[in-house]
Amino acid sequence: MIVFEDVTKDYKGGNHALKHVNLRIRKGDFVFVLGHSGAGKSTFIKLILREEQATSGRVLVDGLDLSVMKKRKVPYLRRRMGVVFQDFRLIPTMSVYENVAFAMRVTNIAEDKIKKRVPYVLGLVGLADKADRLPDEISGGEQQRAALARALVHSPQLIIADEPTGNIDPKLSVEMMELLKAINSVGITVVVVTHEVALAKRFGKRIITLDHGVVASDTAPAPMEDDEEVAAQ
Amino acid sequence: MKWSSFQYLTKQGLHNLRANRLMSLASIGVLTACLLLTGIAGLFSANVNSLVEYLGDQNETVVYLDQGLSDEELASVDQTLRSMPGLAAVTYVSQEEVLETYKGYMSEYADLFNDFEEDNPFHANYRVVLENLNQLDEMIAQLEQIDGVYSVSAPTQLSSVFLTIQRAVTYAGWALVAVLALVSVVVISNTIRLTVFARRKEINIMKYVGATNGFIRWPFFVEGTSVGLISGLLAAGLVIGAYALVVNRVGAMSGFWGPILGSCLLSVGQVWPAVLGAFLIFGVVIGSIGTATSIRKYLEV
Repeated sequence: MIVFEDVTKDYKGGNHALKHVNLRIRKGDFVFVLGHSGAGKSTFIKLILREEQATSGRVLVDGLDLSVMKKRKVPYLRRRMGVVFQDFRLIPTMSVYENVAFAMRVTNIAEDKIKKRVPYVLGLVGLADKADRLPDEISGGEQQRAALARALVHSPQLIIADEPTGNIDPKLSVEMMELLKAINSVGITVVVVTHEVALAKRFGKRIITLDHGVVASDTAPAPMEDDEEVAAQ
Repeated sequence: MKWSSFQYLTKQGLHNLRANRLMSLASIGVLTACLLLTGIAGLFSANVNSLVEYLGDQNETVVYLDQGLSDEELASVDQTLRSMPGLAAVTYVSQEEVLETYKGYMSEYADLFNDFEEDNPFHANYRVVLENLNQLDEMIAQLEQIDGVYSVSAPTQLSSVFLTIQRAVTYAGWALVAVLALVSVVVISNTIRLTVFARRKEINIMKYVGATNGFIRWPFFVEGTSVGLISGLLAAGLVIGAYALVVNRVGAMSGFWGPILGSCLLSVGQVWPAVLGAFLIFGVVIGSIGTATSIRKYLEV
């Protein structure tokens, strides 16, 4: 699902965010990407979202080579995944329902399908009764679940959660992780990016540790040789 | 774009207009104020121009005829003048009428003029008004060429003064309008940039969810166009209303300037379609293009 081949990312000003990173996350995996601040976690996400491009090396997502991807194709890449940001990033002027529906609307999905799917997904994350509220009118935990619903609603094959426990209390963190596990159990690849070692260890899943831009450890590295096929762009 | 998406995005644009009402009001306020200033300057300059033109039109060129012209000759001169291009008005004044006029001027000495009735020394003449004072010199030359014309007397000095004033008023007026319009564009695009800046996060989020640039732009475009339309209508209403009031007041004025201004001020009927059209076009163009270009920066995610 995600392949980093000798990826280096340097920012202007000489910041070497990632250095010769090789890693591979297969379809259906549940992976923690662990690291302190400055380890390269944000850059890792930005490269997958194609917000940034690798200075050298290749990033493949779902068979698409992001180093040769045209700018106008980027929205279509992003529709293949769902991202839950640490700060939730809900649109403040839209209701919870509209925020979730928006991820479907951008893909030109018909209104009747949206009307069926959105309430269903809001039910899955336990927000059926908060559909009409604005993001400011619900709690942090609920905002996060709304963000998760938005990430899920268009049935992506990959979910990326950026510090999913960063802005909520410990009890809600466990609930969130259980939700992510449930999502993974139906075959969706889940990548959780976090700085919390304890959280990562508790679930007994694969942990890739980044430190100063390099992969410091990988508890269950996937073999690099059976490379994924690159899809036609 | 699918029809359902188009409908959704248009609705979303109108929804945003309400949701961000403070910013919408600020944009509408600024745009309306700019349109008002520009419109008032435009109307002022158009009216001064009309006044100068009116005063210029009051100049008559007098074409004196030879004495003792036969009826046929007179008819031929008459026909030549009336079919001549470039003349706005042609009025014949006979020898007798000239004499009567002079008698009127000097009624106390009317007796002195009685002698002239047998042997009228005055020349019958045509009073003509030129359509365009610019062509005065050529017109004089042409008029002098006509058979039966004795001489041509034209207000050459005066006409050149009027032309100079008219040109100055026109240039200054439109330069003022242009400067105001330019200032408006700068002020408005800054206001729009501010409203877009306040919503840069929203644009950002849309990009992360996989929205194309067109999808993000359309509601902003609808919003900007609506702001432009509302401001255009508002400013046009205010300007036209105020102008109608001014025309009314001036029409009721007495004294020397009252009748002159009354007859040369552009009527409300002449003015309103131009004001409304210009304001709506200016408002919509600047509102939509301003918004669409301001968000470009935030689409680079």
